[in-house]
Amino acid sequence: MLKKLLMRTQHSSRLWAALAALCIGTTLLLLSVMIWWNFSELLYGKNQNDTLGSTFLVIGKRVTEHNMGVANATVFQQADIDSLRSAPQVQEVGVITSNHFPVYAMMGGNLPLATDLPLECVPDKFIDNMPEDWQWQPGNRSLPIIVSSQFLDIYNYVFAPSQGLPQLSETSVKMIALNLKVGEGDKAEMFSAHVVGFSDRIGSVLVPQSFIDYGNKVHGKPGVSEAPSQLIIKAKDPSDVKFGNYLKTHDYATNSQNLRWSKIRAIVQVVTSATGVLALLLMGIGTLVFILFIELTIARAQHSLTLLLQVGYGPRYLSKFMIMRFLPMVLGTVIVSMIITIVAQFVASGIVKDQGLVLPSLPGWPVWAALAVSTSILVLLVTKSISGAIKKH
Amino acid sequence: MWNTSVSFNKGEYVFIQAPSGTGKTTLIHTLYGLRTDYEGEVKWNNKVLKTTDTETLAGMRATGISVIFQDMRLFPELTAWENIDIKRKLTNTVTEAQAHGWLDRLGLKDKKNSMGNTLSYGEQQRVAIVRALLQPFEWLLMDEPFSHLDHANANKAIELIAEVVKQQGAGMLLADLDENTYFPYTQTVKL
Repeated sequence: MLKKLLMRTQHSSRLWAALAALCIGTTLLLLSVMIWWNFSELLYGKNQNDTLGSTFLVIGKRVTEHNMGVANATVFQQADIDSLRSAPQVQEVGVITSNHFPVYAMMGGNLPLATDLPLECVPDKFIDNMPEDWQWQPGNRSLPIIVSSQFLDIYNYVFAPSQGLPQLSETSVKMIALNLKVGEGDKAEMFSAHVVGFSDRIGSVLVPQSFIDYGNKVHGKPGVSEAPSQLIIKAKDPSDVKFGNYLKTHDYATNSQNLRWSKIRAIVQVVTSATGVLALLLMGIGTLVFILFIELTIARAQHSLTLLLQVGYGPRYLSKFMIMRFLPMVLGTVIVSMIITIVAQFVASGIVKDQGLVLPSLPGWPVWAALAVSTSILVLLVTKSISGAIKKH
Repeated sequence: MWNTSVSFNKGEYVFIQAPSGTGKTTLIHTLYGLRTDYEGEVKWNNKVLKTTDTETLAGMRATGISVIFQDMRLFPELTAWENIDIKRKLTNTVTEAQAHGWLDRLGLKDKKNSMGNTLSYGEQQRVAIVRALLQPFEWLLMDEPFSHLDHANANKAIELIAEVVKQQGAGMLLADLDENTYFPYTQTVKL
């Protein structure tokens, strides 16, 4: 009977419009938080997403007409490294140590390739896709190496077709043994190197630190500076103007391609922020229309409401009755949005999995937090508007 | 009675006699807490009515003070029975069967399913009377409660009211135009 008296406008099209706006607004809000969180997760998350090595940059001092040929002009001193550690956006700085001893590489099998090979090493934490057998001790004849993915690309797409050589997959490259001659003359040593991994972050050939240390000590040319000429840095947001300016003022060079993901991330941030703003606007409009609908319902039932209060129904009882009618509608829209977001996250994790990236299959805590906050605000506004409107009688 | 202090004690049968336009309805509405546009104080059990919040007021109306309005104030969109039942369910003091019995006693047996807005004034008044008796009360306020009833129907209503008021040990305050002997009044006040 109370329903008959108080809920006379339940199936209005305005109500459905308000609920649809609320639902779309909430969904957009959750999705924008979800996208933002997923992108942060890809860049800074615990899971290794090595192809997004955008925040790892290899930098060197720019070689110019003035400093070329000048000894030690392009090496980093400790002061440079310390300054870089406190530079904007920089999270970690690693030294790239290169070999100061001669290395001559010869391809095993039928591949007629032989070349001088520059080797480098970086602290382990800067290696994306860390191979299991990434270790070497003096006495070992077998040497694990990581090569830049670009090397394989150059071989497969440029060198092999032009020379009539077979193209090689990553797996087949890992099976090829590479003979390394280290050192000169009688002291020369032979090692059997095998590729254990590929890196997107570093554009050279990496060996374990222990091997470089050993080689530099035993076969190193005396008088060569130990100071590094390249550094690897982990930057939080390389697209930050302050970071760019820092590199520019110090005349440091880096591969601008590495900033590609950062630019995409910047775009994603703009898009998610814009979606977020749009979502908040939609939610605001939806809430407003919904509350107006509630007030309209109460206004239409004004006569009944007054009479109910006169025959002894309490405002609290009537408010509770109305809240119990309207709240399930609000919670319904929230549940629909939640389901859409969960499905979207599941689909997104499936899509990025195909590209070798890892994302959780359920939305992360910021999505739940956004859901909790938006729902609480919505419930509070609806409850307040109902009790407020009934109290006016 | 205006500009003086008057008090009524529990169990009293008070008759307010006043010609038309002298404030009977104003008095009933004031006592029932519907009006606050007056000077002075109205107290129920020493509780100042003007400053009582709506929640407490609703509680008083549900379990302490009942009223028969002169203009009946039924829900026009509910049937006669629904008008009764919506009040009955609030406190469940009276059973459904008892409420049906009271409607039957007042000659409304065939009108239970008629909409409030299709009932005659006399029928509406009888529904309003039954509605006022469905709750626990210490005081029953009546504003010209039989103005639309013929003698026979008025007598049936008087009998029912007297019975329920006695049963509840309650007091009553009846405002009407002319002197009457509907109830054994203990106090008569002329406005």
